[in-house]
Amino acid sequence: MLTLVRRYGTLVGFAAILVTFWVLLPDTFMTARNWLNISQQMSMLIVVASGMTLVMVMGDFDLSVGSMASLAGIVVAILFTLGYPVWLAVSLALLVGLLGGAVNGLLIAYVGILPFVATLATLTIFSGAAFVVSGGKTISGRVIPEEFGSFARGGLPLGEWGGIAVSIPNLTLLAIAIAALVWVLLEQTTFGRRLYAIGGNIEAAHLSGVPVRKLKLAAFALTGGSAALAGIMYASRVASANPTQGSGLMLTAIAAVFLGSTLSEHGEPRLLYTVLGVLILGVLDNGLTQLSVDSYVRQILVGGIIVLAVSASSLTRKLRQ
Amino acid sequence: MNTYRGAVRALLAGSLLVATGFAAGGALAQSKVAVITPYLAQPGTQFYVEAFQAAAKDEDWDVNVIDTAGDVAAVISRIEDMVTQNVDAIVINVDPTQVTAGLQAAADAGIPVIGMDAGSDPLLVTNVTSNGYAMAAETATYVADRIDGQGDVVMFIFEAFPPVQVRSVIADAVFGNFPDINVIDRVTPDVSDGGIADSRAKMEAVLAANPEPGSIKAVWAAWDQPALGALQAIEAAGREGEGIVITGIDANPQARDAIAEGGNFEATVAQDFTGIGTTAADVVARVIAGEEIKQGVIYVPTKLITAANVDEE
Repeated sequence: MLTLVRRYGTLVGFAAILVTFWVLLPDTFMTARNWLNISQQMSMLIVVASGMTLVMVMGDFDLSVGSMASLAGIVVAILFTLGYPVWLAVSLALLVGLLGGAVNGLLIAYVGILPFVATLATLTIFSGAAFVVSGGKTISGRVIPEEFGSFARGGLPLGEWGGIAVSIPNLTLLAIAIAALVWVLLEQTTFGRRLYAIGGNIEAAHLSGVPVRKLKLAAFALTGGSAALAGIMYASRVASANPTQGSGLMLTAIAAVFLGSTLSEHGEPRLLYTVLGVLILGVLDNGLTQLSVDSYVRQILVGGIIVLAVSASSLTRKLRQ
Repeated sequence: MNTYRGAVRALLAGSLLVATGFAAGGALAQSKVAVITPYLAQPGTQFYVEAFQAAAKDEDWDVNVIDTAGDVAAVISRIEDMVTQNVDAIVINVDPTQVTAGLQAAADAGIPVIGMDAGSDPLLVTNVTSNGYAMAAETATYVADRIDGQGDVVMFIFEAFPPVQVRSVIADAVFGNFPDINVIDRVTPDVSDGGIADSRAKMEAVLAANPEPGSIKAVWAAWDQPALGALQAIEAAGREGEGIVITGIDANPQARDAIAEGGNFEATVAQDFTGIGTTAADVVARVIAGEEIKQGVIYVPTKLITAANVDEE
């Protein structure tokens, strides 16, 4: 019974939030258009949180994802100013993400620095690099190719819905693709099972022949890559790049993974639950904004709900023991 | 344990309902207006928003001020949410080219978006801001009058940034209209460190090249930082007694302090942030009333700040 309570408490809370918004916003909340908006607004966070899940499965985390997102946005924009085509600029920015993530992996798995310290250091380094490369300025205007900015505004047409053309935003499709990819990696491959083994007991995993270091390196590289992709998506959405624009992603991504992990059997992160965690945060932002709740009160409410969900989950677990 | 969980849930739902109940109450038939900015923490923005809210109170609007704390993509998200809410008007204070996706969503839904010192954009009804040309005219004529229309003048300019470039165009025109004013240098400082330090270095070089006391009559700067740098250079060279007149634009706190001290830095121009907020509210009222706004930009008068009025605000 307690397991049920613990596992489904967050879900029930989420349902309560949905019902509350539905009742208070009868015409505008539970509509296809609003949900497509939410999915688009949350797309970047889904990508970062999916990558974050990969390392949090091993009991690690990556504080540098926000500044990596900023750096990747700046890299792509700077390459545009140098006349690079969109595909090449995006590829190179993704490469920067993978390499930056690999540096995190090297520091943690091979040098033996704690993830907190290592990624705190690279957070500062990536952020500094973004400022150096951009000269501290926002890169916007005509140097950003029209096709790059219009990608985030475009989507896959679904047809008419109540007289309004509805389409699935490109950013949403991209986020679904990345989440699906990470889900397959974690749930359907040896790679994923081994990451969970490391998270369960790193010594046992090592003794049973799991190449712990290589896997950590690979997981952190993928996390860096996903952060870079989110940064590129952000740059496309605002058709510009600023050296600090990704900084809000890190804490919310970690919050989403924690929120999601309250749903899993032993409190371990699972990709689908991470996506649900992101959705909870996104729905809160959307619904509270629509209800004209003060932006600062909104922040406090969101933080409070995270505390409630996670403490409810951990307290019920304690009670069971 | 069930009781415990129930309490948790009740608390969660309760806090939501209380917070939202307040906000949703009394919204009948009121016009709904959203003000969205990533920059509410900045002093200028606070002035606009407070003035806007005061004017909105008189109009009895339901105003929702949304601060995305520096996150520009979130401005797009919040514009989308407000479009979903079908508000009567949206006011933004952010570079419109960065939030095109949101402006497009508002345009598709027929919701007017008004810029409050935002920049011009075809997707905005209009943008309410200060007139850069007029601000430059204030300080350039101040300089010309103070030096009796004659002498050598140093200009600090920055042509790469359009809002600052328009200022130097006007200063050039004013000085060009005085046959005895000679612009001996048009300096573009390196602004990557904020502009003061490099302006000081550049001004030191100009002073070294013009060692005769009285050889430089004035320094006209397109914004306050180079004016402050020039002031430091003149003081460091011990030439503050030559009566070199310095002017800036923007009236930042450092510039106000320098003017209040009564030294070489004599004048700057303050934007009327309160006026921008009030005018934006006026435009919103006209748009809600169905009026079509013809001007793409609406200028709010600025104010010359000198030792005579620096302490007024």
